[in-house]
Amino acid sequence: MSSPGAALALSFSLRHRWGLVAIGVTLLAVAAVKVVTVFDRFPLDLDPQVSFAIVCTVPMSLVFFYLVAVLTFGLDGDLAARQSMYPARMFSWPVTSTALAWWPMAFGTVITGLLWTLTRQLAVWPPSIQVPVVWPGLLAVVLLAWAQALTWMPYGLRGVRVVIVSLWLVTIDTIVLLALYLNASEPVMAAVLVPQIPLAYLAGRYAVTRARCGDIPDWALGSRISALGLGPSAESREPRAGFASPLSAQTWFEWRRAGRSLPVWVALVIPFELLLFWAVGTSTKLLVEFLVIVFATPIILAAFTAATVSTSSLNATPGDGLPAFLATRPLTSADLIAAKLWQTIRSTLLAWLVVIVSVAIGLVWSGASAVVVERVGALAHAIGTPRVVALALLVLVGFVASTWKQQVQSLYIGLTGREWLIKGSVFVTLTFLLFFALFIEWIVDTDHVGQALSALPRILAVLAAIKMLAAVWIALRMYRSRLVRDSTLVIGAACWCATVVVLFGVFVWFFSTPMIPHYFLLLIAILATPLVRLSAALMALAWNRHR
Amino acid sequence: MSDAIIAVSELTRRFGTKTALASVSVSFARGAVYGLVGANGAGKTTFIKHILGLLRAESGSVRVFGLDPVADPVGVLSRIGYLSEENDLPGWMRVEELIRYARAFYPQWDDAYASELLRQFELDATATIKTMSKGQRARLGLLTALSYRPELLLLDEPSSGLDPIVRRDILGAVIRTIADEGRTVLFSSHLLDEVEQVADHVTMIDAGRIVLSAPLKDIKDSHRVDGRTPTLDEIFVGRVGRSALSG
Repeated sequence: MSSPGAALALSFSLRHRWGLVAIGVTLLAVAAVKVVTVFDRFPLDLDPQVSFAIVCTVPMSLVFFYLVAVLTFGLDGDLAARQSMYPARMFSWPVTSTALAWWPMAFGTVITGLLWTLTRQLAVWPPSIQVPVVWPGLLAVVLLAWAQALTWMPYGLRGVRVVIVSLWLVTIDTIVLLALYLNASEPVMAAVLVPQIPLAYLAGRYAVTRARCGDIPDWALGSRISALGLGPSAESREPRAGFASPLSAQTWFEWRRAGRSLPVWVALVIPFELLLFWAVGTSTKLLVEFLVIVFATPIILAAFTAATVSTSSLNATPGDGLPAFLATRPLTSADLIAAKLWQTIRSTLLAWLVVIVSVAIGLVWSGASAVVVERVGALAHAIGTPRVVALALLVLVGFVASTWKQQVQSLYIGLTGREWLIKGSVFVTLTFLLFFALFIEWIVDTDHVGQALSALPRILAVLAAIKMLAAVWIALRMYRSRLVRDSTLVIGAACWCATVVVLFGVFVWFFSTPMIPHYFLLLIAILATPLVRLSAALMALAWNRHR
Repeated sequence: MSDAIIAVSELTRRFGTKTALASVSVSFARGAVYGLVGANGAGKTTFIKHILGLLRAESGSVRVFGLDPVADPVGVLSRIGYLSEENDLPGWMRVEELIRYARAFYPQWDDAYASELLRQFELDATATIKTMSKGQRARLGLLTALSYRPELLLLDEPSSGLDPIVRRDILGAVIRTIADEGRTVLFSSHLLDEVEQVADHVTMIDAGRIVLSAPLKDIKDSHRVDGRTPTLDEIFVGRVGRSALSG
C-alpha cells in the first residue's frame, strides 16, 4: 500500500462493494432510459415534474445520500454518540491528522463532482429545464464536506450531532434556495459555494485532530454538578425501589436505551415549525398545511428513531446480533418484544404530549387559534358536533397510531441481527418503491386511472387475503415453536379482531354514504391494523437469540 | 449420569463449511469445577453458547438442569451466572442502575452479598460503565453473575487480557462458589495454569472434538512419566500437538 489514500480507497471498496455495484447499476439504468427515450425515440410521455423525479432525481438523490453515509463513516457507528464517528482504528495509522481528514474528504469531493457530471450527461432532462453547469455539483460537494466535518466532531452531549448536522445542512440548502429564488447567476452561486469547501476541510481537520487526542467535551449538567462536588455522594443516596417484575425492568432498559430519542427530537424540532403559525393570518389553507407539517413531524422522526429501537443495544450497530448481555436475560423472547412495544407506546405518547401542548401554546400565542375556532364552528354547523369530535379524535388517533407503527414496523427486520437482511430489505424496498412509482406513472400516462380505481377493491381484497394468510402462517409457527403461550395467541388474535371491528365501526359511522361499500371500509380496517410485521418481530428476535 | 447438570449428546454445529463442534457428547455433574480447555477457535465458546441456548443444536441434544435451553430460556438462564470475555455490559448504565436492573430477574438475589462484592471489588456505585476500565467491568460482570448465587456458574475466557489482580478475583469467585454446597462451575480458558489451580475435572477440546475429559488427578496420574507429573500445558501439547496459548 503506497499511501493512506490507497489504503482508504481499498477499505472503502472492500467494505462497500455491493453498494458500489448498486451505484453502477443505477447509473447504467439512468443511461439506459436516455438511450431508449432519446436515441431510440421511444414515445414515452415524460411529464417533467413527475417522470424526471422518478427516473433521475430520486435514484440519484439516493445515491448521493448513500455516499454521504459511507464517506462520513455514518454506517459504522452511533450517530447520536458524543464521540467522533471517525473510526478509532484509523487513528493508529502512521499518518498526520490532516491526511486522515483530508483523504476521505478529497474522495468525497471527487466522487460527488463526478456524480453530478454523470447525472448531467446521462439523465434525460426535460426541455423546459435550463441545466446548470456546475453549481449543483458544488452544492453536493459542500454538503458532503460539511457533513463529514460535523460528523467527525466530538460533542459534549448525546444527540447534539444530529441536531447540529441537520441545522447546518438545512441552512446551507436554504441559502442556495434563496439565491435561486432571487435568480442568482451561475457565477454568483459558485461564489456562494466555493469558499465553503476550504472552510469545511479545515473544520474536518480540526474535528479529526480533537478526536484523535480523545478530546470529548462533557456538557452534561449532572456531571458538571458532580465535578463541583455539589451532587449527592454515593453514600448519601437513598437506594431506589426495585422493579416490580423482570418485564418492568426490561421496559425501563429499553426506555433508557431508545425511548427518549423521539420525544427529545420532537421537542427540538417542533418549536421551529411553530414559528410558521405567525404567518397564518386568516388563511385556513395555510393553517391546515402548517398543522399537517407539525403533525407529520413525529411520524417522520419516528422513522429515524425506529432504527435505534430495532437494534439490540446502544453499543451495537444494526447488523450486530443480539448481545449476550441481553440474550442471557432470563426472559422469554415474547417478554423481550413486549418490553420494546411498551417502550415505544410510552415514547409515542410522550412525543404527542409534546406536540399537543406545543401546538396549543403556538396557536394561542400566534393568534391563529381564532381561525381554528371559526373553522371548527363552521364544520360543526355543517356535519354536527359529534362528527367533528369523532373526526378530531380519529385524526389524532390516526397520527399517534402511525407514529407508533412507524417505530415498530421495522422490528421484524432489525431484530434478525442479520446485516445482509437489513441492507437487502432497504434495497428491495427502494427498488419496489421506484417500480411502483413508475407503474403509477404508466397508469396515469396511459389513461388507465378509471380501470385502476375500479380494480381497487379487488386489489385490497387480495392484499387482505395475503395478510391474513401470512398471519395464520406466523401464528402456526409461533404455536409450534412455543414462542408464546396459547392464551397469549388467543388474546392477541381477539385484540386484533376487536381493533378491526372498532375501526370498521368508526369508518361506517363516519362515511355513511352509499358511494363507499362497507366491505371496502372493512378491507381498509384490516389492512390498517398492524398484525403480520408485528408478530414476525417475535420470530425475528428468537431467530437472532437462538442462532 | 443421573445427577448431570449439563448433558450434551452428539452435538454437531457447522458455520458454513467449518465444523465448530463434531458429535460432542459430554456431561457434567453437580457440585464440581470443570475446566474447559482448548486453543483459540477450538470450539469452547460455541459449546458454552449451546449451553446458554444462544446457539441452536443442528444435530444432537443439549440439556441443562434437564431442560432444553432454547425451548425454556427462563427456566435455564435464571439458574445460570454467566461471564464472558467480551463482557458487553451497556456502557450508558451506572453501576447502581445495573445492579437494580439485574436483581429484578432473580428472586434469589442477595443484596447483602452484592454489597459485599461491591466493596470487595472496590467499585464506585455511581460510576458509568463506559468510563470503567476493562478490569473494573470484568469485576462488575462477576458481581452481577454471582449475587444471586446461581446453581451453575459459566465463565467463558473470563480472565483473558486482564491483569493478575482481576484474575485473582475471578479465581477467588470460583473457589467461593464451590464452597457453597451443590454449585457447579464451568470455566473455559486457554490459560491452563489457571484451570489447573481450581478445576476438579478437565475437558480438552480441539477442532470441535473432545479429546480428553476426566478428573484432573486421573489425567495427571495417567500422564506421569518417570515419576514426574507433567503440567496441564504439557499434557495438552502431547494430546493436541501444540500449545493452547499458541492458538
